[in-house]
Amino acid sequence: MVNIPMSAVSIGGRDLAVRRFAASDAFFRLLTRSAAYFVLTLLGGFLLTLVFGAWLALSTFGISFFTSQSWNPNPDILKFGALAPIYGTVVTSTVAMTLALPVGLGIAVFLTELCPLRLRRVIGTAIELLAGVPSIIYGMWGLFVLAPVLQNLENNYLVPAVSEIPILSTIFAGPSYGQGILTAGIILAIMVLPFIAAVSRDVFQTVPPVLKEAAFGLGATTREVVTRVVLPYSRVGVIGGAMLALGRALGETMAVTFVIGNDPKVRASLLAPGTTISSSIANEFAEAKEAMHSSALVALGLILFVITLIVLAAARLLLLRMNKQAGA
Amino acid sequence: MEPVAVRARALPARRKSANAVFQGLCYAATALGLTALCLILGSLLYNGVGGLSLRVFTEITPGPGSQGGLLNAIVGSLIMTVLGVAVGTPIGILAGTFMAEYGRYKRITPVVRFINDILLSAPSIIIGLFVYELVVVPMGGFSALAGGAALAIIVIPVVIRTTEDMLLLVPNQLREAAASIGAPRSVIIRSVCYKAAQAGIVTGVLLAVARVSGETAPLLFTALGNLNFSLRLTSPMASLPLTINQFASSAYPEWQSLAWTGALIITAAVLLLSIVARVLVSKRSGR
Amino acid sequence: MSISATSAPILPSIATNGAPIPHAAPAREKVKIEGLNFFYGQNQALKDITLSLRENQVTAFIGPSGCGKSTLLRVLNRIYELYPNQRAEGRVLLDGEDILDPKQDRNVLRARIGMVFQKPTPFPMTIYENIAFGVRLYENLPRAEMNDRVEHALRGAALWTEVKDKLHASGTSLSGGQQQRLCIARTVAVKPEVILFDEPCSALDPISTSRIEELIDELSSSYTIAIVTHNMQQAARVSEHTAFMYLGELVEFGDTQAIFTAPKKKQTEQYITGRFG
Repeated sequence: MVNIPMSAVSIGGRDLAVRRFAASDAFFRLLTRSAAYFVLTLLGGFLLTLVFGAWLALSTFGISFFTSQSWNPNPDILKFGALAPIYGTVVTSTVAMTLALPVGLGIAVFLTELCPLRLRRVIGTAIELLAGVPSIIYGMWGLFVLAPVLQNLENNYLVPAVSEIPILSTIFAGPSYGQGILTAGIILAIMVLPFIAAVSRDVFQTVPPVLKEAAFGLGATTREVVTRVVLPYSRVGVIGGAMLALGRALGETMAVTFVIGNDPKVRASLLAPGTTISSSIANEFAEAKEAMHSSALVALGLILFVITLIVLAAARLLLLRMNKQAGA
Repeated sequence: MEPVAVRARALPARRKSANAVFQGLCYAATALGLTALCLILGSLLYNGVGGLSLRVFTEITPGPGSQGGLLNAIVGSLIMTVLGVAVGTPIGILAGTFMAEYGRYKRITPVVRFINDILLSAPSIIIGLFVYELVVVPMGGFSALAGGAALAIIVIPVVIRTTEDMLLLVPNQLREAAASIGAPRSVIIRSVCYKAAQAGIVTGVLLAVARVSGETAPLLFTALGNLNFSLRLTSPMASLPLTINQFASSAYPEWQSLAWTGALIITAAVLLLSIVARVLVSKRSGR
Repeated sequence: MSISATSAPILPSIATNGAPIPHAAPAREKVKIEGLNFFYGQNQALKDITLSLRENQVTAFIGPSGCGKSTLLRVLNRIYELYPNQRAEGRVLLDGEDILDPKQDRNVLRARIGMVFQKPTPFPMTIYENIAFGVRLYENLPRAEMNDRVEHALRGAALWTEVKDKLHASGTSLSGGQQQRLCIARTVAVKPEVILFDEPCSALDPISTSRIEELIDELSSSYTIAIVTHNMQQAARVSEHTAFMYLGELVEFGDTQAIFTAPKKKQTEQYITGRFG
């Protein structure tokens, strides 16, 4: 055997380093893995906590919790039904999406197809920034600025105008106090608008330019390119983005609480005050003295969480599908 | 920009007008959206600037009908935001690291990503309920700690998302190069990958700060709010959004005016943070 | 203690510092690959490879894209283990020890068998830190010694004069050729025994390429070197031995001169004369 000189450093030093590395590697790996699993337990924790907290109310009222609209925290009565908050949540979100979706899509089309390049970045950035404005700002603005204006408009123009028309006279029955389901829906719409516009713009940008160029080359107008090429191509993504926005609208608290009027009743008129799940919790939870009252509010939270969970999961699945399609 | 073909062959009038209507609606939508948003920012400025004075930053919230500032709310917001970010950021970075590095090819990773994306947009009031049951009830009362915990839960998904995205952008060649001089995985991640993804991760943390500093709902029954100056983490603590919430819905003009000023401050802070975060990102991609 | 050289190597090498290069006769087998198979999931990328890298000599691997030459290199320092579903079978002996043995520490192995990649990969740190980073992993040097080591490594990679005044500038601020030499310096600084070059010049201009080739030649006096290249002239210029691979198999292996002047296999001849590949 020939003795070969080691060009390497002393073996002893390396051995020490190796042991140190093995230990720190294993430790760091464990640390990161625990953090990742913590995220999983968070979701589970939410559900468990809510179910646990809601148990008293749900087991007491059973199915009537979902069908009754009597919400009475009076210690002598303590009767709770979630119909009014659920109704308010669904209706305000529907109003919000009905208003925000077309406008948001319009903005996205403007940004991707019509806007001069230089303006595109400015407006795009402004919209993204506005998506980050805290929701309480929207709520405050709604209360102080929008609600009085709407009250005036509704009482003086809208209500008289539809008073003779069968269905509309019910939906828009006066008098309006400014605060109510419609106002909350409008505020929600303004709040999710930047979000919808930003997401749709991103989705529209995944359409390969070749496709659009080909359509333009055939003499198609902007409208035709958008409705026959861009929208069909990006449909899944647009729906996914819209559902994400819906998830936000359903769970939004502060923008709604200021302007909904906070009255736990189901009323046909959009101008009437109402309540949503989140605003009920926000308004009452800290002051709820009775265990049953708290439990009923947690049960509301559970319902909201399950609804948003389904909407958000569906949205994410759709967006995943879109990404796969874009990647293929 | 109209395609050339339009000039060559006249468009049927109906298609032409339909297109004009469509484009007009898009312009209108943009104008409407921008107007609404400008109105909000405008009234924020109009109603908020008047109240801006030194006393806003030096005096605590006044009793009903008297003058005062927002010192306790601002300090409370800072404390709870720092708490939330200090707790949430390491957890978020570690979890994001697992997803992009050790667990990149593991089956659990897409599941964690999916759950995290849901948490990212979960209603924040639910987080308040969760922390109430988990922290407030066992501790026997509302506290800044509970508020910080609620904010931390909001920070975590934001940081996870950006950390994972940014680490995935780090080219594998860099990891291979570091490995091939004998660096173990943990050192590669900490010394090379984190450095390469630094700007992006910092951006994520800034965005998380922006997000939580405006949060109200999760603090309503965790930190509760406090009209006095308090630095005790185990007592209820004021925060800007909580104070805005309380003052805006009050009947006292002094409180309402302070609410507007507070709203202006918080919005300016959030916008500033987002802009800084953006500049960081664009600097990075520009390099 | 080194082995005294008695006979000249196969191809003339450029002598460094005027000193004769000690070559074994025949040079010792530093790395012995025996019956190596490699799989990407279900796909077999290497089929029963057996060959040796001789100490302080350069072995070139040539062959068309996808022939497995880069894969072979990636087995030698187990860098493939960063990814799932890749596995190697067979034996790779470094100084008689099987490096594929799971008991072997892969990090130490990689410090002993360095690798330089196709694209320059400076770390996102200063030039100085790029080099000190690897050294610090296994050695605790006083500041002055570390400075010496960094300088020595940069000189070894013929980069010192260009960067000595900006050691604290970012490694990414250098030109492509300089970055690649920085990567070589970084590899040399941890004092490996073997250096693997995976198409080190394919992203570089001709001038940078020739500098790297000179460098490889100089380095071969102290290190065992394997280089994967698409460029046959390069293989001929820098290596003593050449392996021609095709479809995961080792078609021919021998003295570079012999391979390029009198290949034994028809496929080899066709490839080096440019009739396929």
